Amino acid sequence: MPESRNSRLTRPETLTAGGIIVVAAGFLVPTYDLRAISALLPAAMLIGLIVLSAFLLLADQRKASAGEDATPMTTSPKRVIGAFLMIVSYALACDFVGFYISTAVTIPLVAWTFGYRSPVGLLIATVIVVGTIWAIFDFGMSQDFPTGRLWGR
Amino acid sequence: MYSDLLHALPDVFAWTNFAAVVIGVIAGIVVGAMPGLSATMAISVLVPFTFGLEPLVALGLMAGIYNGAMYGGAIPAVLLRIPGTPAAVATTFDGYPMAQKGEGGFALQVAVVSSSIGGIASAFALMLLAPPLSKVTLLFGPSEVFWVAVFGLASIIFLLGGNPIKGLISACFGVFVSVIGSDPIYGNDRFTFGQLELLDGINIVILLVGLYALPPVIDLLETPLKTDGVNSSKLGTEPIWKALPRMNYWKTWLRGSFLGIWIGILPGAGGSMAAFMSYNEARRTSKHPETWGEGEPEGVAAAEVANNADTASALIPALTLGIPGTAVAAVMLGGLLVHGLQPGPMLFRDNPDIVFGFMWQFLFGAILLVLLGGSLATNSFARLLNLPRPLLGSVIIVLMLIGVYSINGRMFDVYLMLGFGAIGWVMDRLKFPLPPVVLGLILGGFAEENLRLALRIGRGDPMVLFQNTTSLILVALTVAVVVGPTLKKRFIDSRKKA
Repeated sequence: MPESRNSRLTRPETLTAGGIIVVAAGFLVPTYDLRAISALLPAAMLIGLIVLSAFLLLADQRKASAGEDATPMTTSPKRVIGAFLMIVSYALACDFVGFYISTAVTIPLVAWTFGYRSPVGLLIATVIVVGTIWAIFDFGMSQDFPTGRLWGR
Repeated sequence: MYSDLLHALPDVFAWTNFAAVVIGVIAGIVVGAMPGLSATMAISVLVPFTFGLEPLVALGLMAGIYNGAMYGGAIPAVLLRIPGTPAAVATTFDGYPMAQKGEGGFALQVAVVSSSIGGIASAFALMLLAPPLSKVTLLFGPSEVFWVAVFGLASIIFLLGGNPIKGLISACFGVFVSVIGSDPIYGNDRFTFGQLELLDGINIVILLVGLYALPPVIDLLETPLKTDGVNSSKLGTEPIWKALPRMNYWKTWLRGSFLGIWIGILPGAGGSMAAFMSYNEARRTSKHPETWGEGEPEGVAAAEVANNADTASALIPALTLGIPGTAVAAVMLGGLLVHGLQPGPMLFRDNPDIVFGFMWQFLFGAILLVLLGGSLATNSFARLLNLPRPLLGSVIIVLMLIGVYSINGRMFDVYLMLGFGAIGWVMDRLKFPLPPVVLGLILGGFAEENLRLALRIGRGDPMVLFQNTTSLILVALTVAVVVGPTLKKRFIDSRKKA
């Protein structure tokens, strides 16, 4: 049976194709201010993206009309969203709080949240990883890491 | 032509360069043995750490990882029936039944010896074929170089299989990313939106880490893998020199090496196809095809020799023309660019010691496989399967951040990498091929510069692009690559109907 109008529009490929069309059209605007030769390749690629995404969208909608189910992007959306959020939070924490504190918290937190529940294992792994990073990058290579915008550094 | 090859040999034996290959092979086996991690991902994460290293140390690490990972993928394929890398799928057919019979150790030894033989054959093919091809490509002018770039993109899109529209979208995205930053000729900003960090364009490493490292990390955290450790605890490994006389698969090794090398050279084909073709051919010519699939060691040999024979040979078009044969080769091109080495004919003229040294490193990496992965180490590597995946995922996240941050010492690059990672995850789940994005980024700027140069030479007349025989041959090849798969499909369909 063909899908309802609403579910047909929320198929992953349809949403992605729609998203590409909108973003590519948005990026086309600044090409008008460029010299023709400078704008040639980017404009060609953006128009290409719009046209190809339109084909993709139509092909996906034809599949939907034929009653073909869309393959879900993930079987456990909560875990995927959680993983993405943790990674983004880690990057923000490094930026605002500082690299070493954020890393020392993130390694056990991510591993614990996603199923590794051995406190001793987590402690050992965190000490080894953070210690090795400090020894190689900070001590050995004088690599500076973010110290945290919140502390004004 | 080959004298440069011999001149490069002493540099390879410098202890730092040699140690890099050893470390690379071990790291590659570890990465390959972890289901969900791949050589592509490992090299992507590694590339930013090699900025401060000598080029041969960095390239030695990459060559080692590539060789090691192709064998490492056989470990979970044999013990768990889960291919550690996509190229190890065919290894599961006979490897896993062998493990169930308590012959897992022998299966892994067959795999490591076959992988090594395939890798050695592939390295020799790279050494023999790349130098003469580079001499030919030295004669190319701007219009030919432009068409080489177009041909490269077309090949990877259309020969990769799958949906060509998705391949084209990936390539357009990659080429678009390549134009962000200052215009190479007029210097005006393109799509920088006032961000000074974007003026120099987007560093390829940021894209590589985002596209190739973030999606596997999400996979590691999304699906916890439970292993019972049954097969890895009863490997029954004997020293490899005792097992060698039982391996009499010379015909299979020869055939598999040839197939792997050939498929490696073809852009877009890759190790999985090589392994399947080699397995099928070996089974077809076997005197006892009925035993295949039930634990036939020759099946493991056929698959493993071919998937390793495709490693160095995939670099033949990559090093000479700038067209990678596989995703890993595309990432390795990124690694070369990081060290200021532009893949293509000039590479052989300007940096012979590095490019030929890299070829030797591939050869030594393949030989080291037997020594490092062969006997007692096999047992240790098999235990890697019990490493907790969430912990591994969290460590990789930290390594990704360090790697990308250390390129320019700014968090902007990290946020950009996360953006590319999110795009990469969506593309991965919707089966958009990722290699065209990387190739688009590598070849986009290159193609644009040569197109504009050719148009300047021709005073704006686009016909300058079609005015010599080489350009016309390249145009014809591009058309063949684009139209060929469709015609072939129609021909097969019409024969089926008839």
